[in-house]
Amino acid sequence: MNEMQFLTWVRGTGLNIALGIFLLGVLWRLIEIYSLGRKKDLSAPRNVAGASGWNTMFRRSLPPKDMGMVKKSPVSYIGGYTFHIGLGIIVFLFAPHIKTIQGLTGLSWPSLPSQFVDLVAVVTIAAMVVVLVDRINKPVKRYLSTFEDWFTWLVTFLPVLTGWLAVRHLLLPYTTMLAVHILTVEILLVVLPFTKLFHAFTLWGSRYYNGAVNGHKGVAV
Amino acid sequence: MAIGNDKEFKAALAGLAVAKQRQVASRFAQRVFDLSNDVRVKAALEVAGRPEISDAELTVVSAAANTARVESFTQCGKETDWTAQAGLFVAKAAVACVGSPAPGSNLAWDAAMQARMARTCQTVATGEGTENREAEEQYRILDAFLNQ
Amino acid sequence: MSATMEKGVRVLKEVMDAPIASYLNSCVHCGLCAEACLFYTETGDPKYTPIHKIEPLRRLYSQEYTLLGRLMKMVGLSKPLTDAELGEWQELVYNSCTLCGRCSVVCPVGNDIVYMVRKLREGMSASGNAPVGIKGAANRTVTIGSPMGVKLPAVKAQMKHVEEDYGIPIPMDQEGAEYMVMLSSMEIINFPEYLGAIAKIMQQAGKTWTLCSTAFEATNAGMQIGNSDLARLIVSRIVDGAERLKVKTVISPECGHAYTALRWEGANLIGRPFTFQVKHIIEVLGEFQKSGLLKTEGFETDRLTFHDPCQLARRGGVIQQQRDLMNQVSKNFVEMPDAGFINWCCGGGGGASAIEEGEELRLEAFKKKKSQLEAVKPDRLVTACANCRIVLEEGLEHYQMDIPVVGLTEMIAEHIPEKGA
Repeated sequence: MNEMQFLTWVRGTGLNIALGIFLLGVLWRLIEIYSLGRKKDLSAPRNVAGASGWNTMFRRSLPPKDMGMVKKSPVSYIGGYTFHIGLGIIVFLFAPHIKTIQGLTGLSWPSLPSQFVDLVAVVTIAAMVVVLVDRINKPVKRYLSTFEDWFTWLVTFLPVLTGWLAVRHLLLPYTTMLAVHILTVEILLVVLPFTKLFHAFTLWGSRYYNGAVNGHKGVAV
Repeated sequence: MAIGNDKEFKAALAGLAVAKQRQVASRFAQRVFDLSNDVRVKAALEVAGRPEISDAELTVVSAAANTARVESFTQCGKETDWTAQAGLFVAKAAVACVGSPAPGSNLAWDAAMQARMARTCQTVATGEGTENREAEEQYRILDAFLNQ
Repeated sequence: MSATMEKGVRVLKEVMDAPIASYLNSCVHCGLCAEACLFYTETGDPKYTPIHKIEPLRRLYSQEYTLLGRLMKMVGLSKPLTDAELGEWQELVYNSCTLCGRCSVVCPVGNDIVYMVRKLREGMSASGNAPVGIKGAANRTVTIGSPMGVKLPAVKAQMKHVEEDYGIPIPMDQEGAEYMVMLSSMEIINFPEYLGAIAKIMQQAGKTWTLCSTAFEATNAGMQIGNSDLARLIVSRIVDGAERLKVKTVISPECGHAYTALRWEGANLIGRPFTFQVKHIIEVLGEFQKSGLLKTEGFETDRLTFHDPCQLARRGGVIQQQRDLMNQVSKNFVEMPDAGFINWCCGGGGGASAIEEGEELRLEAFKKKKSQLEAVKPDRLVTACANCRIVLEEGLEHYQMDIPVVGLTEMIAEHIPEKGA
């Protein structure tokens, strides 16, 4: 298979397979998780404004108030925000990506200047390396980490790295680099529903449940 | 006039100077001391019973009696040994005897109450229930003390 | 697998619900929960990371409720839970967790970790892996009717003591009283002053109240050990008593977990809403205060600070009332750092203080409370939970800190003028 055939495959068949597994996987996993249901709470609720599942869904995106958590684990917060926001910008506000999404769904929206996205990519790569190093260095993170943690880091890192290399025409000839990039994205898509990366979907439900249980008691978490 | 009820008992105790209160309080506590047998409690009661006590001595025995008290708590979830629990109240009585009284408080009354609670623990442990003659014995002690 | 291990696994499978599944799938191993847990912060040992404490639950969930997990178990890549493992986890699930809930507040993906520890305890208990100290409490609840072996004579002893000391009669089994007062075992045994304080307060407020001879005890060892059947037994007794006496409100005493068990878990344990209200004594005092029924004289002048029991404040939603009450009788009330909703646990809740083997760890974890107190340097420490009181006193004693500990209800009652005075 030459480089052109490789690129054609990942753009066509590969993408179809990956998206198929991704969509079916997400659906399956959501059903698998949320169909377990939960019992109704029969205790008398306290109704306090600001204490509810919906509130927590969004409020939990920020560090908890007055607990000094950022100081205790700055890399978790600062590194975490940086690479998540970075990924968001790269994936959804980079013109070639928007074009791809338009090709698949018909939807499109304005993009950010490519040079800016390039800068974001560099910052994201750096942030991801920093969080990796933190995971290796910090006793708690190291203790908790399993093969899945390192693997999912790699599977998320490679698309960003290879994409940036492709745009910059570095390392491999462009066609091959681009094909590799798309392949790494496909791996990410296939792996996402079945690993901790699925938190992208479940964290909303988790925050909601947590907020609801505490909101029932009148405590805003 | 013999003391016959708690109202008279409490009033008579309140009328005593602190040093005298300590002395009579230590007598109340001595009656139930065998339910504790803790050396720190013993030391506190001994010091409280003396007519002349220095502040330094009080501080030392007070700290020791407090430790005895804290050590005799029953932990949440543990089985209650009522005989042992009596020891907590004896220690509390000792702490009352040698503690610094807050203005308006009646340390001898406090000690008397704790001593009665200790006795009640003992009678609960032996299955005799809550009826005991500790209050009457305390009236007798106070009468004897006032008339000496 | 032994019979009890089978039971343990069955029980764990039964507790799995969508929230647990969602939480387990959301965890990204960020380790932030460790920074919120005093057992980790004061020891530096990563095994006390809260999410790690529930690892057996996670593995069972994965093997039983996820396709991938089931496949992995089939091909031998994932080993089934063993009794020995649960035994190993006992220290993490009981000794080093007081169900304080700080972890659930910080998790960025929203995991309610304390909920999962509570549920894992169900399996631990059913498989025979709960600590000896709390197992005894559970047995006594079943055989004697009381986790600490407190029977009616003991309550009567307290009533007699209080009637003598305060000169106020203590009602028992009065039908139609507005409030049914519960006591915790700890109060019956260690702090009889609490009942006296209640008597004084109720007398002044002009409210009718009563004890119940068949349901005087609120302590719920079932909740601590993780045995819902037991928890239900205790709650049912209280419900029966309250309904028999036709009271409007049941008052939960100065005890943390008793409140959680009755107020929040109770209705779910018996499977129907309560026909009466449940309030913590501090909530009731707060209401009396707002309605002008709490008339006090004088002020404490020494420097006071307040320790918020976890189950009352963060886990119970009663946070402001204790502050308003403190301010009514104190001119010098100062908050410690991290007070209120984010307070640090005393280290002895959730049954932890009954576990002898866990004492060393508890005392180490107490360094966090010690640091809070060193920052605020109070003359005395006030709290509203009998177990916190004892744990605090023991910790302070251990670290040679001379700070007396008092109960808030008692302190309030001391400022109520003697009737007829």
